[in-house]
Parts: sequence; C-alpha cells; structure tokens
Amino acid sequence: MLWVDKYRPRTLDKIIVHDEIAQNLKKLVSEQDCPHLLFYGPPGSGKKTLIMALLKQMFGPGAEKVKLENKPWKIDAGSRTIELELTTLSSTHHIELNPSDAGFQDRYIVQEIIKDMAKIRPLDAKGKKGFKVLLLNQVDKLSREAQHSLRRTMEKYSASCRLILCCNSSSRVTEAIRSRCLNVRVNAPTHEQIVKVLEFIAKKESLQLPPGFAARIASQSNRNLRRAILSFETCRVQQYPFTANQAISPLDWEQYVSEIASDIMKEQSPKRLFLVRGKLYELLVNCIPPEIILKKLLSELLKKLDFELKHEVCHWAAYYEHKMRMGQKAIFHIEAFVAKFMSIYKSFLIATFG
Amino acid sequence: MDIPAADELEWLESNSFFPEEEDEEEFIVPEDEDEVQEIHALESRDQSPVTEVQNSRKRPLSVDDGVREGESGSKRRASDDEDWLRYSPPKQVFANEPTETDDPVVPVAEEKIISRFASDIEGAFIPVTGPGGDRVYAKLSCVEKAGGKSLLHRDKPSNVLLSVSIDVLMQRLEQETFQKALQESFGSPNQENQTTTHTVSEQLWVDKYAPNSFTELLSDEQTNREVLLWLKQWDSCVFGSQIRATTDDVLTALHRHSSITQHESFSEKKGFNRNRRVPFVKQSFKHSNVMDKEEVNSKGISDVWNRKSTTNQPPEQKVLLLCGPPGLGKTTLAHVAARHCGYRVVEINASDDRSSSTIESKILDVVQMDSVMTDSKPKCLVIDEIDGALGEGKGAVEVILKMVNAEKKPSVEKGAVGQEAQLEKSSSKKGRKAMSLSRPVICICNDLYAPALRPLRQVANVHVFVQPTISRVVNRLKYICNKEGFRTNSIALSALAEYTECDIRSCLNTLQFLNKKKVNLNVLDIGSQVVGRKDVSRSSFDVWKEVFQKRKSKRERKSLNDGIRHLDSLYTLIANRGDYELTMDGIHENFLQLSYHDPKMQKTARCLDMLGISDSLLHYIFRTQQMSLQVYQPLSAVGMSYLIAQVEKPNIEWPKSLQRCRALTVEKKDLLKSWHNKISPSISRHISIESFVEDVVSPFLHILSPQTLRPVALHLLSEREKDDLAQLVDTMVLYSLTYKNSKPEPAQKLFNKLGASADALVPSLDPPINDFTNFKDYQSEHYELSVATKQVLLHEIEKQKILRESIGKSANPSDKSNNVNGTSSSSDAQVIPVKKTTTASVGNGRENTTALPQTQKLSTVNSKPGSVPGKHLPVTGKNLKAPGNPKRPSGNLTSFFDRVKKGNNASSEHTGDMLNNTATTERDSRPLIFKYNEGYTNAVKRPVKVRELL
Repeated sequence: MLWVDKYRPRTLDKIIVHDEIAQNLKKLVSEQDCPHLLFYGPPGSGKKTLIMALLKQMFGPGAEKVKLENKPWKIDAGSRTIELELTTLSSTHHIELNPSDAGFQDRYIVQEIIKDMAKIRPLDAKGKKGFKVLLLNQVDKLSREAQHSLRRTMEKYSASCRLILCCNSSSRVTEAIRSRCLNVRVNAPTHEQIVKVLEFIAKKESLQLPPGFAARIASQSNRNLRRAILSFETCRVQQYPFTANQAISPLDWEQYVSEIASDIMKEQSPKRLFLVRGKLYELLVNCIPPEIILKKLLSELLKKLDFELKHEVCHWAAYYEHKMRMGQKAIFHIEAFVAKFMSIYKSFLIATFG
Repeated sequence: MDIPAADELEWLESNSFFPEEEDEEEFIVPEDEDEVQEIHALESRDQSPVTEVQNSRKRPLSVDDGVREGESGSKRRASDDEDWLRYSPPKQVFANEPTETDDPVVPVAEEKIISRFASDIEGAFIPVTGPGGDRVYAKLSCVEKAGGKSLLHRDKPSNVLLSVSIDVLMQRLEQETFQKALQESFGSPNQENQTTTHTVSEQLWVDKYAPNSFTELLSDEQTNREVLLWLKQWDSCVFGSQIRATTDDVLTALHRHSSITQHESFSEKKGFNRNRRVPFVKQSFKHSNVMDKEEVNSKGISDVWNRKSTTNQPPEQKVLLLCGPPGLGKTTLAHVAARHCGYRVVEINASDDRSSSTIESKILDVVQMDSVMTDSKPKCLVIDEIDGALGEGKGAVEVILKMVNAEKKPSVEKGAVGQEAQLEKSSSKKGRKAMSLSRPVICICNDLYAPALRPLRQVANVHVFVQPTISRVVNRLKYICNKEGFRTNSIALSALAEYTECDIRSCLNTLQFLNKKKVNLNVLDIGSQVVGRKDVSRSSFDVWKEVFQKRKSKRERKSLNDGIRHLDSLYTLIANRGDYELTMDGIHENFLQLSYHDPKMQKTARCLDMLGISDSLLHYIFRTQQMSLQVYQPLSAVGMSYLIAQVEKPNIEWPKSLQRCRALTVEKKDLLKSWHNKISPSISRHISIESFVEDVVSPFLHILSPQTLRPVALHLLSEREKDDLAQLVDTMVLYSLTYKNSKPEPAQKLFNKLGASADALVPSLDPPINDFTNFKDYQSEHYELSVATKQVLLHEIEKQKILRESIGKSANPSDKSNNVNGTSSSSDAQVIPVKKTTTASVGNGRENTTALPQTQKLSTVNSKPGSVPGKHLPVTGKNLKAPGNPKRPSGNLTSFFDRVKKGNNASSEHTGDMLNNTATTERDSRPLIFKYNEGYTNAVKRPVKVRELL
C-alpha cells in the first residue's frame, strides 16, 4: 500500500496536520449530532481524511465498511425520462457520491436522487431515530441550478439527513448553501506540518532521515501533503539510505509545462504558438484540468519574467481564466493567454532592446 | 428561304459595332454562304428598279460574284467570312424599328443614297470603296420582299443552330404579321396582347442556347476532356470490339492532351486568379485535392490502359461524380459528353421518385438491359442532384455502391482472364452477375462533402467543377445577346457574370428578364437590379477559405466601399452556413498557419480573443437558449478575417484536433474510472481523477519501478530486496495494477534494455496508467523495469491475487457471521493451508524457488515491527492452532490471514468465527478440494482427508 494510504489517520485523535480542526469536530459530534458541514480547501490538504475520521467518530467502525454501487437511475422529468448512472459508496450510515459526474444533468441528481436517499431514515440500534450522512464531493463543480435545488433539500430533509459537502473553492458554492452549512476551512498544510508528517512516517518505517531532507520535499510539494508523501516514498524507492541533497523527481506534467514555458520564452510567433498549442492539447488529453495548466504555466512564466511585466501578465492570466470558466473550449482561452503573453513580451523586448 | 441569311446578316451587322471580337466564329456556321450569296443576288435582281438604280449607281460593276470576289479579295481582313457581306448587293438595313420593316415600298428615291461625305447621308450608312479607289458612303436602307414574308422580328432569330424547326418559325412569323397588322389597325392598346403571346411562345434562353456539341461547352476544358476520356474508356466494354471506335492511341492522345491542358489550365487559372478579382470559390481550396486526385486518376487510367488494353473491361472507377456550384453546366456536360460518345442519356433527377427500391429497378433497367430494338444506342445513366434529398439520395448512392462493389469482387477473383472467358461468364452467370454495372453512370451533385456521398466519393471518379473564366462567359453571353438583339456591353456583362459567380444559368435568366422588361443592363446597379443573389449555403471549407483569403481588389479605387461590401458578404456567408461552432473550430485550427504579418503578436492575440468571445457567447447561448444572440456570432469571424486574411491561398484542414482531444480525454477518463472501480473503496475514495493525474501518477510510477530491483532469481535477492519486492507486489495488488503481455510499441523497443527480439511480448502496465505521463516530445525520467523483472512481478501478482481471492471467499462469509454457509466457507478456508503445506512438503528443486520467496516475503511482512497493530496478534495465534498444522510454513500462512484481516479491518468477532469454523471443519470429513493452477505448483493431485493431515 502506498504510504499515503497506509499512514492516513483513521480517527480524529490521530490526525497530525489539522489537529485543532479535528478536536473541534470531535467536540461537535460528541452529542451524536452535527449541522451540515462544508469542507473546503486546496487539494492535498486532508479534507477527505478529516471527513472519514469524522464519520468514524460519529458512527464507529461501521462507517468504514463501505460498498461500491453503480446504480442506474431513471428520472421522470416532465415529458422525458432521463437515465443516469451514478456510482455511490455507501455504508449503513452514510452515502458518498459525486454529483458532478453527471455533467449538465447534475440537477436531477440533486433533485431526485439525493431526495430519494435522504428520505430513508435509518433507525439506530436503540430504536432511536438517527440520521444519515450524505457526503457530496466536488460541490464546486455543481451547476448553479443544481446548487439551488440542493438548498431546498438541505432544509427539507434536515431531520433525517446531514449533508457533508466537500470542495476546493467555496467561492463557487452559492451563498445560500454556504450559509446553511458550518464552513470548515482546511488549509494547505504548512511546510513545518508536512515535515512533521514525513518524520512521523520515517519513524514508522524506521528510516533514517538526513536533516533538511524532509524540508526540501516539503518545499517542493507546493504545500500538498499527498504530493509530499508520495515524493517521499519515491525517494525511498529510488535511493535508500537517503542523502541530504538527493534529487526529488518532479511531476511529469509540471515538467512538461515548464518546457512549454521555455518554448514560449524562446520565440514569439504564430508558428511557435502552433507548437505550443499541440503541447497544450497533450496536457488536456491527459485529463489535466485547464485551470491547473494555466496556473502552472503562469507561475513558470513568472519565474523567467522581468518585474515590470509580472503585474500585467498576472492580470491577463486572471482575465483568461475567467473567460475560460465562461466558455467551453479551454484550449481557446489558454492559447489566448499564451498569445497575449507573447504579444506583451515581444513588445517589451522590442521596447527594451530595440 | 432567305431568313437564315437575313438573320445572319443582321447579327453580323450588329457585330460590326464590336469589331474587337473576332473569336466568335465558332458559333456561326457559315456553310450556306454561297447559297446565301446566290439568294441575295437573285433577290436583288427581283427587287424593284430603284434598288437596281441604287446598285448601279453605287457600283458601276454588275452584280457578279467573281468580280466581287476579286474586289473584296484585295481588302480582305482576317475575318473574311464577314467581309463579303459589306458588299452584299441589296444593301439592306434591318433597322430596329418594326414600323420601318412593314413598309413594303422602297424608301424614297429623293433621299441621298450615295455620297462622298458621310454627313450627307441620314441614318445608317456604310463605306464603299470602288475598284478605282474612290470611296463613297452608301446609305443603308431597308427593302422588303413582296408579300412581307421576310418580316423580321429580332426576338426570334432562327438559324441552323436552333432546334426549332423552320415550320414553327414560319408559323410564328405569320402570327406576328397578323399581330402587327392588328396593332396597326388598333394602335397601342394591343401592345399587351402582343407581349403575352410572346411569352407563351418564347423559350427560355437557357434552353435555347444550351450547347449542343462538345466544342460548345463552356465549362472548364480540362474537366470536359477528363469526362470524355472516362466515357471513352467504356467504349470497349459497352460497344464491344466490333464497334470499338476509339483506338488506344486516340485515348492515350486524349489522355496526354488532358494532362497537358491540366498544367496549362492550372497555370492559367492561377494567373487569372492573381489578376482579377474573381470569386473562385470552389477551385482554390480543393486545388491540391483536385491535383492529387487527378494525378491518381490519370495514373490509374494509364495503368488500366496498359494492363487491360486487350480486355473489354470498364474503367476502374465505374461512377463519375461531377460536383460544383449550380449553374456551371454540370448537367449539360454530362448530357453532351454522353451524347458525344454515342449513348442515349437517361436522367434521373430529384423530381423523380428516388426511393431505394424504385431507383434500384430503374438503374438496373438502364444499366443492364440492352434494348430490344437494334437501332437504339446504349444508355448512359445520369443521376442529377444526387445530394439533393439526403434521405432519398442515400438510396441511390447505396444502390450504386452495391453494384460497384458487386463488380469488384469477381473482377478481383478473375484477375487477368481473357475477353472471351469474361463474356462467357457474364452470359452464363447472369443471375449472380446481375448486380454489376456495365454502363457508365454519371452522378451530379452540388456539395461534394455531403454526408450521404461519403461512400460514393471513395469509389467514384470525382471531378470538381471550377468556374469558367469570366471572359468565356461574357463572350457567350454577348453572343446570345446579339442573337437576341439585346443591347449590352461587355463591362456590364462581365459585372453580371462576376456578380452571379459565373452562374451561366442565372446570367441568362437575368438577361432574358431584362430583355422582356426592355431594360438595359446597367453596370452600376447590378446589385440593386433584378438579379437575385444566389442564396447558396456553402460548405465549411468555402467559408473558411473566404475568411482566410483576401480578395485582391482589382480596382484600388472605392476600396472602402469594396471593403464594406466584402465584409457584408462574408457576414452573410457565415450566417448562411450556420454552424458557428464548426466554423470557429476551423478558424482556430488553421489560422496560425497563415503567413500574416504580425511582429508583435497583437493580431494573433486579438484573434484568439475573438475566438474566446465567440466561445463564451456560444456557451451562453446554449445555456440560456437565447438563440437570437446567434446573430453576433459571425461578427467575430468577420473581425478575424479583417485582421488576418491574406491574398495567397490558404491550406485548410478540417478541424480534427479539438474533437480528437475531447475523444481521447473521455477515453482516458473512462479508463481511470474503470480502474478506480476496481480498487477497494477505502483507497479509491481518496483519489479523485484530478488528484490522481495531478499529484499521484508521476511518483506512483516511480514507486512502481524501483531501480533496486534486480532481475535475478528470487532466492538470490537479499532480505531487503525481498522486502521491497513484497511491498511492491502488495501495492500493485491493492491498487489492482498488473502487467500484461502485449506487443511492444516502437517507442518502447528503444527502451528495451535486455534486447529482447522485436516481436517478443513485452509486459506493460495494465491499466496503462503510464500513458498519463506520455506527452509528445517529452522524455519522462521514469525508470523502466527490465522485462525479466516485469515478468517476475507479473507472476508474483498473479499468485498474490489468487491467494487473496480464496481468502476473500473465506473472509467474507465469516465477516457476516452467519452460520448458514459457515461450513462450506470453513472448508474453503482450510484449503489454502493444506495446499500450502503440500507445496512446502513436496518442495524440491525449482518448486522451492517460487514457494520460498513467497513464504519469506510473507514472513517479512509479518515480522516488520510496528506495522502490525497489536490486536491482530491473538488472531494469528488462534489461526495457527486452528488448522493444527505442525509444519513450519503454517506460521507464515496464518500471518497471511492476518494481513488480510488487517485490510478488511475485521476485528475480534472474526476470530470467534474462525474458531467456530475450525470446529466444524474437524467434524467435517469431506475430501479435499484442490485448486490446481498451472505453472504455480507441481503438487500432485490426490484426494486427501483433512484429518489425515491433522
């Protein structure tokens, strides 16, 4: 098993990184009840881990016995019936699903399926009426319509059902939903916290950590705990015993993006843009989200840029990311950013060096 | 009798107003010159004395052919056919006013008829030079024959070119005289009546002046020749050897000629394109296409010719597909060429019933049946407007395809069978061969890229019609106008031709309409005049071409106006096309290939901005269903065209990459999802697709291919290496990854460090998650495991999986803690330890090599401090006792159980179950169930009672 999964804390007590959040959550559910929750934070910060630990805290080990279900749903929507297939993970106490899987039909999931699930009220062992937990992932990817239908569901079935929402950015969750939930912000772990985790793992694996090595991994991880642990394990596989200045292999796609960035810096012409387009397509084909590509590309470009231009380039990156979210074809907008950058940079070069 | 002559005269007279054009001789058929002359001579003698006087006064010489001949010979010009007419004795004037013509009396004698000075003569005159060199001007006057039989009506020229018979014409003439008489008696009110009768009797100019012979065709010379060549190739098959008119050398000559003209015409076209501002719509973008195709065609043709010159096989491609915009003469070409080659044309067009069944029988009738009557010609099928109705057109296409394919198979089988054999076969096997095509089929369409035609395009000989040059069209129009007596000038005609994009049909209809209205064609307001602009929706390629290609303005003046008009037309074009998304994709795909001047990349950035706007707009429209916003879509394309359009021809490709990208992304996502579902949920729930691709995959691949793993026999590995291997196998099994033997890709061969033979199977990851780091032009630094190592891993994984499977069987029911099937599950649970013990006890030679590392591996897992939570230890102990196995390896096996329980998080209640199970097992004395897996053990299959082992 990968260390990421192997050393994932299972209970709230064992959580290292966000221990104060964990303690608060523990207090929250101590009376076997809780409000709706919205966890948000960057990837690799431990939202899911917190949620799982919370569920275990609420329902005991039964929450960990999950089964995977792939169920087809038929929804009667006025004149036509919509057929959806949805993968859910469910235990006796909770159901976990990813409504944004359904794409533009996510509204029906929220309206029908969640309603359907929320209606069934479990009885707990002592005959007391308990509640179910609905765990929705990637709520920020839900369409606006779906979010609107969600808020009614939240109120109507709050007696029998608690919603735990999980997303990366709360800004894409509507006000209405945010106000109905207890918002839990899960920060990206600091470098120190990452180092702490890595040291913990090293102790468990009985590995010798040279001083500063963990810090280096942490600094390269972009404050992403998952990435840090994975690259730690990679280093372990590649070379053990560790040396202090051991190479930490970069992520392939990031490497590729930095290649693109250097391509852009080398030459600014339509021909070069065409070449860059091909590479961008490659990234998109491999399921890397366009926003991430744009962000990484910007940071790679900024590394090599004159101070004068940084502000402007950042402005345009934001502009095109906004446009990208408004449109459908991400490649148009990323390319537009690249072209804009080329234009700015070329003018700058001409102005500076003649 | 003199009507044709008079007609011709008239035309030539009017033609003399345009002396610049001499190239229209081919339209005149001057066969009856002599006859005409004689008639004139006779006529002049018959005529009234005044004319005689006129003649004699004008020319002292008698009206003698020979003299005249000699006389005119001295000053013969290049167009000598016309010259003699200037000396034609009657000096008739066929004035335009009909009132003049119906006067049967000769004009007044007092009038000055011949003078030395042109100013003396009223009205029309011609210069005459006498034999002595003195030059006089003779007045042109009109002479009517008695009885008014030769009354003229300029609307009805009839000559040998016409299909209307002389009887009809005579009839019309009579009718007209009657009309005129009426008109005279009643005055103007009858005018209306007259015009109506005109319309009734009038034929459309388009039909009237349709070309009748191959040489008259107005379409592109090269296409014409290609079509003819293709038709000629059928000769041997259709007409058989006895009538085989076209010899090989003729064909080759034709072919050679066509290939020469091909080059010529292309260069000419290019030049033309550069010089004039002509909308060459179809031609340029398909230019290369056409070139290729034709090269292929011609090659194919010559091949065919070399090979089968002795057999009577039809050409390789049995169907000819003509395509091009409307009005260029595709149908005409098909008809004329087929007639030219001696076929009877049978046309099926959109007005006919074109459902699959009816068309099939029809085609069969045409193509396969020979006519009963001996004199009839073989038939040639012309399917017009095959793309017209998609649903029905498809039927026709299918039928044709079926026939073509039916032909192909036998021809492949037969190969180079002789002529007689073929004939015999076809006659004897009529039933089977009934479906094959044995007559030429010409299909005509407007849109070559209509989806219904896709299959046909592959089998047919495709010819794309290009617009004829404007000068050709104008010449023809001028000729017709002259024939009809409609006054125009070349500029107006060329403007008209340009406006209608050389659609001859539209030009003619317009002219006829104007003629009816008695309105002159005006250069300036062609747009506003009656001429309807064609509402043609063009193919996407045309749209892209229009966007990318700037029309070079012929006249630099009024460039602003022109520019506006161009943008306007571009807007209409794109709006007519409609499919904005596709249009934008095409622009996006291709615009970077243009060579526009853009030093600071500003244009590019703006173009991409516009594309982005269009994309956002599209998204918004589809989200909110506000389709009325679509009108703003073409604007961004127009704007881009304004920025980047170039004069030179763009090389346009169909936008594939975006679709490809989407398809591949979906595919990869599906792959990940299916993989995701295979992993146990406790792990997979933490890996979303995004996080996997972003964070996990690269380090994961590193972890999966440790460099420390040596490809040696397992027992040679050190403790630590074994430990590593065990961990790796464990990880791969948990994440349901494995290696799969597959053919190596070329790229992988390079990495093949052990130098295995090229076609050997190379194990690769399954599911292929390593693809997610395979970017183009990117060299990932992942260490590739050697083939041997992979094989070892594969082996280990398989073993591990089987173990888990069997353990899972036992673990699951016990988890549920129901005793209903407890007995069976317990017996299952017993199987594995027993098997293990047998393998261990048998263990000799190479058996050890596989068994040993596993047991050791398991032990290392177990013995790892800290990794095993304390509460599992009692379970181990109980399991150890439960099978009661005295032999050593059992300890390892129970540790294996323990590991699984760890995974399932089975707690103490599990142990209780296990105790129960062992109790039932001891009671149970059923024979052993042994699972034999080939390649994993040499164990002897032998029924063993459990208690024997206890």
